Amino acid sequence: MADTALKVHVQDLHKSYGETEVLKGLNLDIKNNEVVCMIGPSGSGKSTFLRCLTDLEVPSKGQVVINGYDLSDPKTNIDLVRENIGMVFQHFNLFPNMNVLQNITLAPVQLKKLTPAAADKTARDLLDQVGLADKATALPTALSGGQQQRVAIARALAMHPKIMLFDEPTSALDPEMVGDVLDVMKQLARDGMTMIVVTHEMGFAKEVADRVVFMADGLIRESGAPKDIFEHPQNPRLQDFLNKVINV
Amino acid sequence: MKKWQVAVVLCLAAIGSWFGLTTHAQAAEYTIATDTTFAPFEFQVKGGQYKGIDIDLLKAIAKKEHFTYQLKALSFNAAVQQLSANQVDGVIAGMNITPAREVTFDFSKPYYTSGVVMAVAKGSTVKNFNDLKGKTVALKTGTAGAAYGKSIQSKYGFKIKYFNDSNTMYNDVKVGNSSACFEDYPVMSYGIKNGIPLTIISKQHNAGDYGFAVKKGKNAALLKKFNAGLAAIKADGTYQKIINKYLHAKESKITGETASSRTFFGLFSQNLGTLGKGLWMTIELTVISIILATLLGLILGVLGVMPGKLGPAVSSTIIYIFRGMPLMVLAFFIYIGIPDLIGHGFKIPAFIAGMITLMLNEGAYTGAFVKGGFQAVDKGQMEAARSLGLPYWKAMRRVVMPQGIRIMIPSFINQFIITLKDTSILSVIGIVELTQTGTLIIARNFEGFKIWLMIAIIYLIMITLLTWLSNWVQRRIN
Repeated sequence: MADTALKVHVQDLHKSYGETEVLKGLNLDIKNNEVVCMIGPSGSGKSTFLRCLTDLEVPSKGQVVINGYDLSDPKTNIDLVRENIGMVFQHFNLFPNMNVLQNITLAPVQLKKLTPAAADKTARDLLDQVGLADKATALPTALSGGQQQRVAIARALAMHPKIMLFDEPTSALDPEMVGDVLDVMKQLARDGMTMIVVTHEMGFAKEVADRVVFMADGLIRESGAPKDIFEHPQNPRLQDFLNKVINV
Repeated sequence: MKKWQVAVVLCLAAIGSWFGLTTHAQAAEYTIATDTTFAPFEFQVKGGQYKGIDIDLLKAIAKKEHFTYQLKALSFNAAVQQLSANQVDGVIAGMNITPAREVTFDFSKPYYTSGVVMAVAKGSTVKNFNDLKGKTVALKTGTAGAAYGKSIQSKYGFKIKYFNDSNTMYNDVKVGNSSACFEDYPVMSYGIKNGIPLTIISKQHNAGDYGFAVKKGKNAALLKKFNAGLAAIKADGTYQKIINKYLHAKESKITGETASSRTFFGLFSQNLGTLGKGLWMTIELTVISIILATLLGLILGVLGVMPGKLGPAVSSTIIYIFRGMPLMVLAFFIYIGIPDLIGHGFKIPAFIAGMITLMLNEGAYTGAFVKGGFQAVDKGQMEAARSLGLPYWKAMRRVVMPQGIRIMIPSFINQFIITLKDTSILSVIGIVELTQTGTLIIARNFEGFKIWLMIAIIYLIMITLLTWLSNWVQRRIN
């Protein structure tokens, strides 16, 4: 185990699909309790970067150390690594063949982290926390997008992850649903969760992030405190991007 | 126990009890194959028993020589193939002794002499061989009639169409698809006496001898006993009695049928037992094959979507081979080809061979749509499950498979129905399931329309029941 204060250490990360290089050598360190928002134009590699952190995408080159586990080490048990990472997807990916409660308790029970009874209790507490206590027995298809995403967050939290990764969690939502999801995420941040959030919600980034990372064309072009990034952007790509996003 | 465990246990119990039955049946010293539809030499009578000159001769000879045997009724072709593949010990099926056959088989002393005649439909314009020019002649594969027909084909300039059983051949002439057929005289004249609307218009040609056959160099003892027994029953008059019984009597005397039982319902109630047996065989084959094919299909499907290259490669190769091979070829390959290859008297019971055939063929189709069903599950489902820390197989079993199987249900129902229908193809390796039962009943009473209608209705009823059952299961799952 490396420096325990360092949650994520990424060095010279490359990812190519055939001839196309999507990530061109990224370096990033994230400390405990830090909330990092990743912004940038579509296709800049933000999501790919996030997926490389849990081995959903295998890097072509470079090193990823997360929660002290080196993903490039063949001895690393990826399932164990993932148990400690909460991943939230753009399209929620709830299991449609299970109700809300079963979605949340599946992994803790299957991986013998909790007894079914304890998992049930944890799940109900988490549902309470995300404001969906009354939906425990509902099927995912009966929920709105915003509700589904909050269940997905509860599902990830049920494994007591040491870090949460959010891949554009509000992009697929109707505008009126976004607020509820962001509120849950803000609360998580306040509670001290280490978070990496790929997002287009500039307001959220400004308000919640400790650090904002701007990516374009497979590289980190600028990173810093939200104030600096949004008020004094240095990189012309960032200036251009902010102009487009803010003056819609 | 969980439901699937119950199913597996039941399935094993069924196979086990079936094995028990076969071992019991194999207590006989010899297995002797015969044709199914070659009256008066062999044909099935009411209740599924076989009768005929060959059958009675064999019985009398066995009694004289004190040996036991199990009779296996197949098509003539299958009987001969099985003899050469060592699947049976002998064949008695009105088989002509020919030089070509003597290369592979040892024959007994001739037990009957007959010639080939030409028969045409009543009122046909064909009066002699010369009239056959440009017309089609129906022949039964492997028979003396076929050999004779082929030998004069170029001389008289007709086309040839081959059939596997006599009755279908007669029918083809009767309905006018073929202009004539060539058949052994006693067989043809017996058929005509019993209602086949054809007329014999030639004298006997190419008279030949019928013999009992064993594989060359094998079963010399059996052949010796047959010859000794034949001489004995000729001496004591049993032989002539048998010949007279079949050549000079109407079939109804032998089968016990009456004219009044020729109505649809009369035929139905009369053949109820035989049809029931065939139906049960079809159900048995269908159920066991569906279970095995589904298991194989699930395995192939899971292999097909496994990460890495080996699993998908194995899966698609197996699917490619067994989906690409016609069911009939596969059945012959397993039943006749494999024992032939292994040698040492290795035998596969027809039922087992049929089951394996269906399992491989239907399993390959099932595998293909199971794979497709798993692939149709949103990739995000697997990613979400893995991201929670679930290992691949747990994620597969808990998340992807339940969703995939729901997508596959209509394909499963479809495949079950196809399996049920495909069991009929196994009649070619001598399994007496429903279709073969129909062939056998018609070979005896020539009531093609009524019997095939009966069989068709039974299949439709079964398929309707199966569809209802499947729909009920589908509603339960959803």
